[in-house]
Amino acid sequence: MKDTDHPVDTEEPIEKPPIFNSWAGMYWLVLGNLAFLIILFYAITEIYE
Amino acid sequence: MSLLDWVVLFGTLGFIVAYGVWRTRGSKDIEDYLKGDNTMKWWTIGLSIMATQASAITFLSTPGQAYEDGMRFIQFYFGLPIAMVIISITVVPIFYRLNVYTAYEFLENRFDLKTRSLAALLFLVQRGLAAGITIYAPAIILSTMLGWSLNITILVIGLLVIIYTVSGGTKAVSITQKQQMAVMMGGMIIAGLVVVSYLPDYVEFGDAVAVAGKMGKMNVVDFSIDWNDRYNFWSGITGGLFLALSYFGTDQSQVARYLGGKSIAESRLGLLFNGLLKIPMQFLILFIGVMVFVFYQFNQPPVFFNEAAKSKVYATPYADNLRELEVKYEDIFEQKQEAVQGLVRALKADDDALVADAEREVEALAVAAKAVREEVKGVIKTATPEAETKDTDYVFISFIIKYLPSGLVGLLLAVIFSAAMSSSSSELYALASTSVVDIYKRSMQQRASEEHYLRASKLFTVGWGIVAILFAMFASLMDNLIEAVNIVGSIFYGTILGIFLVAFYFKSIRGNAVFWAAVIAELVVLYCHFYTDLAFLWFNVIGCLCVVVISFLLQGLVGRKKL
Repeated sequence: MKDTDHPVDTEEPIEKPPIFNSWAGMYWLVLGNLAFLIILFYAITEIYE
Repeated sequence: MSLLDWVVLFGTLGFIVAYGVWRTRGSKDIEDYLKGDNTMKWWTIGLSIMATQASAITFLSTPGQAYEDGMRFIQFYFGLPIAMVIISITVVPIFYRLNVYTAYEFLENRFDLKTRSLAALLFLVQRGLAAGITIYAPAIILSTMLGWSLNITILVIGLLVIIYTVSGGTKAVSITQKQQMAVMMGGMIIAGLVVVSYLPDYVEFGDAVAVAGKMGKMNVVDFSIDWNDRYNFWSGITGGLFLALSYFGTDQSQVARYLGGKSIAESRLGLLFNGLLKIPMQFLILFIGVMVFVFYQFNQPPVFFNEAAKSKVYATPYADNLRELEVKYEDIFEQKQEAVQGLVRALKADDDALVADAEREVEALAVAAKAVREEVKGVIKTATPEAETKDTDYVFISFIIKYLPSGLVGLLLAVIFSAAMSSSSSELYALASTSVVDIYKRSMQQRASEEHYLRASKLFTVGWGIVAILFAMFASLMDNLIEAVNIVGSIFYGTILGIFLVAFYFKSIRGNAVFWAAVIAELVVLYCHFYTDLAFLWFNVIGCLCVVVISFLLQGLVGRKKL
């Protein structure tokens, strides 16, 4: 057997994430957190520079 | 170092290694060595991903970077959370469905053997070089502390990492990284609190941040567009995104971390965990560097932070020149200290005119102090031509050893060694697994026993460890360690990412087109690195776009049948 011939698991069901009903909610949490941090850092730069 | 420091250092490291060996006892076949047993939960994956990326360089070099250049390095990480989301949506399910050992196996399924081998080789070259820098960083500490030769220290640390990795395999790497992350973050938070507590009584925390801001260190975000500026919002959000996509989506040292997950959901959550916490973690480390900078506005800093290099000059005819400059530096410091105290008083009085005057005075003295430091570097270079004159990587370790209380010095050194062990072991393991699965087992020795491949994996781990040690001996030629790692990565990552992007999203493009596009793209990136001043983060974008565009053109021009 070639190393690329591992058994293929075609349709593994993806569990729901915690807290949110869908993965989209988790993704928006991460992106929203990034947006919040950039705004916070911008405010810090403006206040202290 | 006191006895207590040695006990804390070796107690912490000994416990972590012993725990890893005990938990992974009995893993004796290639499946266990390369993949573990796919039982990892999301928090183990998340911490393992963070620990792999956070090398000793992160804890040594990042505070020094902030001391010298302020907070703006944080922008380098702005693309990372976006990359975590993209990888969770697209890459993770594909790797799971194909049940691969390494990321590059997917490329043979999608294209052909030569494209898989090219991507694996590009990874091996860049990660082999980066592993050398990862070993070099903690070697600085011991050589400075114990007065050992740097090369001997590199050799000792490199051999210890090799032994640890060969005995553990991937599961030991992941399991020990949880403890290592706890030590790292706990140690850094304590260090941050101690630095702030060492500020003079009349300087409150808010004053310290304000002083840092007035001295140009709170430059967290910069929206100006400058293609040659290494760190601004635009290079971070685009170049950083491409670098993170490539690092987490195609670098085996990271792919292996989340492929060991119990399910797709656990792997995704591990990646998103990293996307949430990475920027706050780096902010904390950079901010500690800024607080060390403020601390040295009220306490005399050494004129050159690498004491070992400085003491060599005392044994040469240039000793008097150095002493004269040290006296001059101390005089400037005393004036600057008074000016900074004036700045604090002006800030407390909330008087804009006074603040502006004090700021100008502080700035002028800071420029004078910097000029003296440059003169010192010139003297060191003249007296000992082999010495490196960049000392930013020594700023934090010099502060730890000189000012932290007994016990905490040992804990902070344990932080740095833990980081070195966690990232080096991941790197050596990834280099070995890629060498065995993508090159040796696929193209050189297709039919052999499991024991043979296990032995080969361990031999490759040792071999790559030796390569890393040799490269580490040349790492002192680099300007700044954390930049050196990222520059080496950026030279190769864009091309690798381009190959994977074509594989995922451009179904009509075939193996020959993407292979030659990748070769041309890598040459273009190497040209940009050696013959232009372009900031290195853009190499990721250029390499990736070149692969996508050129492979598209080749496929279109020559035709689907021929390619």
